[in-house]
Amino acid sequence: MKTLLEEIEAQIEGAKSTPAKVNVGTVREIGDGVARIEGLTDCMANEMVDFGSGVFGLALNLEETEVGCIILGDYSKIHEGQEVRTTGRLLSVPVGMSLLGRVVDSLGQPLDGKGPIKSETFYPVEKIAPGIIRRKSVSQPVQTGIMAVDAMIPIGRGQRELIIGDRSTGKTTLGIDTIINQARINRAADAAGDKDYRKLYCIYVAVGQKQSNVARVIDVLEKEGAMPYTIIVSAPAADTATNQYLAPFGGASMGEWFMDNGMDALIIYDDLSKHAVAYRQVSLVLKRPSGREAYPGDVFYLHSRLLERAARTSEKYGNGSLTALPIIETQLGDVSAYIPTNVISITDGQIYLETDLFYQGVRPAISVGLSVSRVGSAAQVKAMKQVAGRVKLDLAQFRELAAFAQFGSDLDPQTQAKIERGKRIVEIFKQPQYNPIALEIQVSVLWGAQNGYFDDVPVEKVKDFQNKLSEYLTSRKGDLMKRVAKEQTISDALANDLKAAVVEFKQTYSTK
Amino acid sequence: MRITKQARREAKQLFRAAVVNGVLDDTRARKVVQLLLEKKPRGYLAVLTHFQRLLQLDIERRSARIESAQPLSAENQATVKQNLSGVYGQGLTYAFTDSPALIGGLRIKVGSDVYDGTVRGRLDRLQDSF
Repeated sequence: MKTLLEEIEAQIEGAKSTPAKVNVGTVREIGDGVARIEGLTDCMANEMVDFGSGVFGLALNLEETEVGCIILGDYSKIHEGQEVRTTGRLLSVPVGMSLLGRVVDSLGQPLDGKGPIKSETFYPVEKIAPGIIRRKSVSQPVQTGIMAVDAMIPIGRGQRELIIGDRSTGKTTLGIDTIINQARINRAADAAGDKDYRKLYCIYVAVGQKQSNVARVIDVLEKEGAMPYTIIVSAPAADTATNQYLAPFGGASMGEWFMDNGMDALIIYDDLSKHAVAYRQVSLVLKRPSGREAYPGDVFYLHSRLLERAARTSEKYGNGSLTALPIIETQLGDVSAYIPTNVISITDGQIYLETDLFYQGVRPAISVGLSVSRVGSAAQVKAMKQVAGRVKLDLAQFRELAAFAQFGSDLDPQTQAKIERGKRIVEIFKQPQYNPIALEIQVSVLWGAQNGYFDDVPVEKVKDFQNKLSEYLTSRKGDLMKRVAKEQTISDALANDLKAAVVEFKQTYSTK
Repeated sequence: MRITKQARREAKQLFRAAVVNGVLDDTRARKVVQLLLEKKPRGYLAVLTHFQRLLQLDIERRSARIESAQPLSAENQATVKQNLSGVYGQGLTYAFTDSPALIGGLRIKVGSDVYDGTVRGRLDRLQDSF
């Protein structure tokens, strides 16, 4: 026995602590949030490097004798000749439920003064998108609560739908409305104790936005009670280009956590034009060769790898999803510019917002002709499909005929009817901001319009009629609305009951 | 001075010519510089500047700096040299310095690899971990 102990003792004495090998380099050049470092021979691409005193960098350019790094955080204390070491780690952000209700920066650090984020899981910022084996086609709807979108440009969970338009045409509002509607549905499901409903968590990534705009968004979401289901990732205009470049990727990682754990999430990138500009700045100061409009050659890959991370995974791999709503701002409605065409070709459809429509009072200013959803119709609720199947066509025909009718020539009754119907549909689709409409109300109203119950209402009264009908249906016909929501398809029996309800309402309305 | 791409390329070629069996040959390097200064080809200053930089990087890559809290005995130095040449091969130049700030142990830097077994280094790591 004693010999064994002696043996172990001898072995312990023989074992020496070998000092760890680290790879170091020296800062050769520093400025504009970018450092060039000599040495670092073992540095890997996208690896974090340690500048000491809590400042880290991200190695983006590996050159023959140098490494180009972008610096995360305050670079004013870094000086030439300083020692830098590799860490062997990838840049990661905290993920998980504890982020809900919080406002964080690109690296997941809290900005809202509500204390540290308690999260034990970290995800790398750059992550390879799920492959074809893990994926499944889109089959569940995202209810945006915006009637025009839900009826004509349906979005499915796992889809990437671009929101594109000029400045101040309501792009952000469309996203915020969607977040508010998710919060309402989630809350309703909580209240009803509905375990089957798959909650949709939202992530709003603000890139290069004015701080005041971000503050306003937070204010609206708080007022509407949407914050408990929302994460806000903020890299405002005052933030460094590095942080603006990283923010969407950090947000995507947070969303992927929900997807990997069998939950559903929605992420809004507001907006990717500014993201491309931030990336262009980073690339130019790193002296990467520039291409069209001085964007680097990989600006397409930048957005495609980001948006590819939105996916719907199959049951075998967790049955989660990440839906992406990227936003792009165009200049004077030019969708053929470089970044807009890139993102249009990456996404599964776009919602195009027009300035002209916006100022005509058609809000949301969705251009029906140019907006499409390539995969969403597979996920649309059947009842909605029944009532809205022809709306898009009707509206497109109306636009054509309306232009024709301006010549004032006599029109045959059929054309006249189409124009009258079109005018009413346009009215019905008008919707104030931050006021999403429940699916069953949307379906019932559209059913009414499709079956001619709006035809004898004067155009200027249509909105009033619709509002009062909605109110009547919610307050007096709650059971019927519940049935519509539950059955999700309009059977003959349901159609009869809807008819009775609308007729009953019309009698009270016309007497007023 | 702006060093053009061509100057870089030429300097690189000259540098390769001065390397024998993967180790820089001093006489060849001196000859390269001499010839360049004699013949003065177009943009020779830029070529020379870049050549100097390449040489400097190579020398750094092949030099080992050994710092210790106390001066090392000749015997210890020989052991260190032997171990390092086992890892990095022949052709290293060694520089031994002593700095009491390390408190104890050795810090060896070869190229951009650092082996830090000093007490100071451990204390610094401990401090960083808080």
